[in-house]
Amino acid sequence: MKVKTPYRVAGLAMASCMALTACMSSGSDSGSAEDGDGPIKIGISLPLTGDFSEPGKGVQRGYEAWADYVNENGGLLGRDVELTILDDQSNADRVAADYEKLINQDGVDLVFGPFSTRLVVPAAQVAQDYGFLFVEPAGAAEEVFTQGFDNLFYAAPAVADDHYNYLADAIEALPEDQRPKTAAYAAMDDPFAMGTAYGLKDRLEEMGVETVVDEVYPPNTTDFGSIAAKIADSEADVVVGGTQYQDAVNMIVALQQLDYQPKMAAFSTAPTNPEFPEAIGSKTEGILSPTGYTPEADFPTNQEFVDYYTEKNGTPPAEDEANAWTTGQVVAAAVEAVECASPDPECQSQLIDWLRENEVDTVVGPLTWDAEGRPEGAHLIQQYVDGEIRIVLPEEAKEADLIIEKPAW
Amino acid sequence: MSLLLQSLVLGVLLGGLYALLAAGLTLYFGVMRVVMIAHSAFLILAAYLAWWFSTETGLDPLLSLVLTVPLFFGMGVFMQRVLISRLRPATLTMMSVLLTFSIALVIEGMLGFAFSGTQRRIRLDYGGANFEVFGANVAVVKLIAFALAAVSLAALFLLMKKTQFGQALRATIQHPEAARLIGINTDRVAGYGFGLGLATAAVGGTALALDSTFYPSLHWHWIGPLMAIIVVGGLGSIPGAAIAAMVLGMGQSLLQIPLGTTWAQTFFYIALFATLMVRPQGFFGGRLAQRF
Repeated sequence: MKVKTPYRVAGLAMASCMALTACMSSGSDSGSAEDGDGPIKIGISLPLTGDFSEPGKGVQRGYEAWADYVNENGGLLGRDVELTILDDQSNADRVAADYEKLINQDGVDLVFGPFSTRLVVPAAQVAQDYGFLFVEPAGAAEEVFTQGFDNLFYAAPAVADDHYNYLADAIEALPEDQRPKTAAYAAMDDPFAMGTAYGLKDRLEEMGVETVVDEVYPPNTTDFGSIAAKIADSEADVVVGGTQYQDAVNMIVALQQLDYQPKMAAFSTAPTNPEFPEAIGSKTEGILSPTGYTPEADFPTNQEFVDYYTEKNGTPPAEDEANAWTTGQVVAAAVEAVECASPDPECQSQLIDWLRENEVDTVVGPLTWDAEGRPEGAHLIQQYVDGEIRIVLPEEAKEADLIIEKPAW
Repeated sequence: MSLLLQSLVLGVLLGGLYALLAAGLTLYFGVMRVVMIAHSAFLILAAYLAWWFSTETGLDPLLSLVLTVPLFFGMGVFMQRVLISRLRPATLTMMSVLLTFSIALVIEGMLGFAFSGTQRRIRLDYGGANFEVFGANVAVVKLIAFALAAVSLAALFLLMKKTQFGQALRATIQHPEAARLIGINTDRVAGYGFGLGLATAAVGGTALALDSTFYPSLHWHWIGPLMAIIVVGGLGSIPGAAIAAMVLGMGQSLLQIPLGTTWAQTFFYIALFATLMVRPQGFFGGRLAQRF
């Protein structure tokens, strides 16, 4: 072809290539769905932008690593797995439409869940309507399990309300006069974030720890000065943040600016994020956080996961990546056991029934579920000790001793 | 009592920041009836540039202002001359919403592409530093942001009142046809006015970046409250916007004590509705806004 106006022609060529590829791929898609030979297609929607973009991308890395690992090791039922990941922009309406599209138009064989309760509930509803198995990596709040879903399984060790159980046990074990007297709670208006904080609140109140501040703020809150002022004014012994990421960072800085020095500070999600010490600087010492995962755990498949992931991404996996990988492991275990992976309702219901009855070995430990899909385990408690985040509870898994009295930040 | 005082201090500091962030927005409307949805996107852009500057060079993010203020001024003039001045005067206000909405989307997309959706924060050695005044803690970074607001708004005020350009700009705001009749090149003045508005976004974004986490889509959280401020203050009036920002910032901060965060945030919108019902031209807009 003679090129006279290079840009125009190149643009035209590119557009026609794209159109052609689109036609070709949609053509081959419909073929494979019918004969069950081609790759196993897995549909996923994730919050890659918006409020949950940070953890959403972690989940994406975990899913992609899992798919590559499976494909390098003979695939699933001898077939490759192929992920279709859509971006729901952290939007609950969008996530339902995404799964609707994945199941109806793209004809995926299986679906994996999105990140966090707010998106899991609408997504699980769509999966339920189509009779799909729905294993999810990050919807831990109680409301996920009270919607009457019979297709849902949470692929992590514990639900939100139980995240701080080991910490509550440790506080309870302290002599009466060493226990904290007062506690302040600030939680994002989000079922998961509130679940973690209020799970601990219930336990502490049972022990007689007085609640002096109980704040709930909307997810779009940008200014944490006033919340911090309330907490600082209460001079609570313990501060508990039901947080995601940016809210924890902004709140901690706002508390430091007011010179508030609690004896114990616990925040969900954010402290386990590698960006966290980057943002807070050297003032992380003593901050507590529950976590469902650590690369050091000696569960059977974990070492292989950590090595594979680290080689692929250059850094060891964090909790979000691990929960995504766990989701893959759980679904794969069911698929291998009942030997089917198709959108056919019978196959999906076999997968669901199998998971109800069986235990699955995963990188976060062996998992079993109750009738509503709650995992029946507990979370580890991590703390920043000497500038590194380490497991401090429970006793048998600890990497460092729990610092009871938090140093000044 | 100390909580009240503390909240008052925080409210004043917050109000100052709001005033700075809203100043440009009211200027665009005053000069050329443009509703600039992309203003908060430019704030976030400036925040990213400050972050990028300080991570690349290791210097204080405030120094990035030396580069971003002229850059944003230039972008503003360019945007007005190339894009906004091409809109038909009859439908200018409405079409400017669409045009600047698309600009906001482009900025958000480019930020996501260049810096990813990861939440960023500038790590400052003095990020948690504070001092005590009468029992209330004042954070150094918040004070710096407040000082930036005070200096920029004062400079803007002096520019508008004392210079010939300011007179020309005010004449353009008050009556474009009459301004043209006495020989003011209103097109050029409007371009500079727009550039000035965007220059305040450079300062505002940098002030914002000192004390908060930001990510590409954050600007949607800001545009609503900022619009509320300029409507309450009277569209086109910079002192009005500053006073409204102060009142709303303090109100939000103080209402948080009895009502909690969720309801305190609705204060902006309640103020907006109340203004539209009682005094739709805003409290300081006067004649200008009545024409709208």
